[in-house]
Amino acid sequence: MVMAANPGSPHTPSTGRYLDQERIGRALDNATQHGATYAEVRLVAFTQSSVAMRDGALERAIPGQELGLTLRVLADGAWGVHSTTDISSLSEQIESTTRLAKAVAARRSSGDSPVGLAEVPILQDEIHWKSKLDVRHTELDTKMEMMNELFEGASGHNDVVSIRTGWSDEHIHTELLTTEGMDRVWSFQRSLIHGMVTARDGSDVVSYRTRHGGQGGLEVIRECDLMELGENAQKAALRLLKAERAPSGKMPLVADRDLTGVYIHEALGHPCEADLVAAGDSCLDGKLGQKIGNELVTVVDDPTMMGGYGAYPIDDEGVDTRAKVLIKNGVLTEYLNHRETAHHFDLDPNGGARAQDGLHHPLVRMSNTMIEGGTHADLDALLADIEYGVYACGSRGGQVDTGRGSFQFAAQEAWLIENGELTQPLKDVSVSGLTLEILQNVDGLTRDAALASPGFCGKGQTVPVGDGGPIMRIREALVG
Amino acid sequence: MLPDHAVDRLLENASIVAKACKTNNVEQWDIVGFQSYGHELDIEAGKITLAGGGGEGGFGVRVLEGGRFGFAHLVDVSGAERAVQQALSIARKSPVVAGFVLPSEQQAQEVGGRFDRDILDLGPEDLLQQADDIISAVASADERAVVTGGGVGVSATAGCLMTSEGILSHGLTTSHGMGIQVSLDVDGQVTSSYQGDSSRKRMKELPSCIDRAVHWAQITQNPIEVESGASETPVLMTSEGFSPLFSMVVPPAMLGEKMVREESFWSGKLGEIVMAEDLNIVDHGLLEGGFSSGSRDAEGVPRQVRPLVQGGRLEAMLWSTRDAAQQVAQGRIEKASSTGSAVSSSHQSPPSTGCTELQFTSTQGASSWEALLERMQDGFIVNSVMGAHTANPTSGDFSVTTSTILRVEGGEIVGPLKQAGLSGNLAKALQSGVHLGDDVRRQGSYSSGSMHLPDALLMNGLRVNPA
Repeated sequence: MVMAANPGSPHTPSTGRYLDQERIGRALDNATQHGATYAEVRLVAFTQSSVAMRDGALERAIPGQELGLTLRVLADGAWGVHSTTDISSLSEQIESTTRLAKAVAARRSSGDSPVGLAEVPILQDEIHWKSKLDVRHTELDTKMEMMNELFEGASGHNDVVSIRTGWSDEHIHTELLTTEGMDRVWSFQRSLIHGMVTARDGSDVVSYRTRHGGQGGLEVIRECDLMELGENAQKAALRLLKAERAPSGKMPLVADRDLTGVYIHEALGHPCEADLVAAGDSCLDGKLGQKIGNELVTVVDDPTMMGGYGAYPIDDEGVDTRAKVLIKNGVLTEYLNHRETAHHFDLDPNGGARAQDGLHHPLVRMSNTMIEGGTHADLDALLADIEYGVYACGSRGGQVDTGRGSFQFAAQEAWLIENGELTQPLKDVSVSGLTLEILQNVDGLTRDAALASPGFCGKGQTVPVGDGGPIMRIREALVG
Repeated sequence: MLPDHAVDRLLENASIVAKACKTNNVEQWDIVGFQSYGHELDIEAGKITLAGGGGEGGFGVRVLEGGRFGFAHLVDVSGAERAVQQALSIARKSPVVAGFVLPSEQQAQEVGGRFDRDILDLGPEDLLQQADDIISAVASADERAVVTGGGVGVSATAGCLMTSEGILSHGLTTSHGMGIQVSLDVDGQVTSSYQGDSSRKRMKELPSCIDRAVHWAQITQNPIEVESGASETPVLMTSEGFSPLFSMVVPPAMLGEKMVREESFWSGKLGEIVMAEDLNIVDHGLLEGGFSSGSRDAEGVPRQVRPLVQGGRLEAMLWSTRDAAQQVAQGRIEKASSTGSAVSSSHQSPPSTGCTELQFTSTQGASSWEALLERMQDGFIVNSVMGAHTANPTSGDFSVTTSTILRVEGGEIVGPLKQAGLSGNLAKALQSGVHLGDDVRRQGSYSSGSMHLPDALLMNGLRVNPA
């Protein structure tokens, strides 16, 4: 049976580690003997919990432990990968996975360059980002109490017909061993609380979602005024009941911190992922060093931003993380890289490799992505010279076609801007555009930049991310 | 690919979890388990970049005491005792759902076509050959076209359901899938299209998705200028364009819980006309070869063929045992019982209510692509949308973006647009003037199950806003 072991089982020594270093070391040596130029074993163990409540009553609470392991072998310049929940079966997979990599390599045409890996420091260490209040020691009652605070804040109005609240936390433990001698162990935690308020007026039904969370334990949730979070969600849902459909067409757009974050994530972040650039699927191919946006625009992706939902100490190839400046004053300065793309483009690796879990191989991903602050004092200063436009707030998600460079994102709520003032509340606002046009159209940013609500990013694999920035004004955007 | 006695070994481990339930004197329990094995290849930049394989699985255990339930999931059955105790402690904090008991054993019908032994014989070398064939087929269709993403994969899954009420269900399923992103870069103008196909059976020939992907990358080159500004217009959507919006909006509207909680745009409309009077929706839980059909649902209740909308009239809603009991207990509906619609997305979550194989048809019959174009006269064709996940399932409103949109005038395609917004209310758009294409495609769903939708759908009442 393919099943994994827990620490303390016969598969693991008494070190608190899941992988037996000696045994894995022998397996990796075996890969080298079979012709691998590089091989790694990465194990991820999740201790997780999710809770769902509805109208203040517990709907479900799900504690769980998941464990997965991926063997990745580079042979003759091509990858072979084997993922499993069975630690004990690993040794049997070395030869076949190496053979698989060689079979892929044999199909490479003469014009294709073999996969190589940029050099990185080879480290043997452990890094544990300890939470002040460990999620593994948080009782269900505590979680329910906090979810009920959010519920209390959101309830108390006749038009509110349903309030859902949710909780999720996880402790992530990773071990990485490679043929280069890398032996790293790291762990960290994430916590998230969220709510959805549904309001009804006759046949009109609207919903508003709210979230708070980040890297860390219970303290991340405790720092939030949950009553206020609920109250604001209720107010927004009630506003949506009175909101009109948004106007359609090209017009000035002002986006709050949440939407600014989603915008920069979709419009710029994804096209900056070097695996997409190398695959010929990015509109930013060949544009490093070129001016692609207004000089107001500086964008940073930073996994070391503690507390951000996309924070992590070490990437999934064992590379130390650092802040990456993707755009500096409108000039494209850096792609997000993992070791393979760094080698391909002859760049320094910058710790951008992330995998969803132990059963997936690392891809190039974002972490905490933000536009830096600008020069405008506040929202009013951005609105002042807009005759007719839209102020859009809160994200309902977005999507991008990186090759074409077109993107879309949707707001939770919005207001019409008329002669510099916010007037009519609007609903169902979506915004679309072309990356290389709209980055030029950013013409105002407030001074204060910060991460907004936590989010999730899908790219075949789902990973938590943080996005944010200041309040942003775009001269002209297609509002739908 | 599949180890010997995979199902037996899965059942052995499920029995260990069951034993932990019995040891802890759990009143009622059910255990779902699965173990999947597979091979996959990634294609990027016109070449195979990675070959992978492996297996994963786990167990979910639901315990029930006096109408209170708890759940836990685990990978390693040596932790079964702890998982059961965790589930029990959660159950004791949960509210009582009066009348909620796990279903008893009922005769269930076998559903064929979900397992193909041929797939088990497919090894990495076969997939490598298939990937080569895909790359060659794209190059043959258009030498400028490159496969920039996607791949091919096969899998076999052993699954089981074991309950305290004597239900023991187990079996094997297989799947074979291909999906490709084709890009066309002509003088710096990049167009692309993603298309995919999958089957429970081995796909011996390259599926039509390859040609479709190349076609849409080609046909959206050289955009024409169209006056900016939103207008209400007929839209002919391909199955690929329509399915994400449909899946976000329509399946959730038919869930019993959402209906009685007034969270569906069809709440209170049971027995009323809600769609054009020629339109039907059936949830075919017993569909041969289906990806979500089967003899039993995730709670062990026999699957059914359930007409939901007949002649435009809303005739039924979907229930799992638990949702039905909860809504009756809370007084939102007088009587409700399971429709065999419990679904479980993985071992990590307890059963909820969902669709299996939604079939969307018209009694008016179907029209060819050319006939639909002729009927539309002036309007747009949309092949894919961005942002379908932002559609509002409680209202049916959506506002999305498309970069694969063609302008049609006088029944003829005059050219592609670079980008456009597409918005409207899907529930309202389905109420009249809907015409279906003459082929059916299986599509995945944002919500649950699979959908069998026409290859093309002509609708009115949508707004197009060219960039």
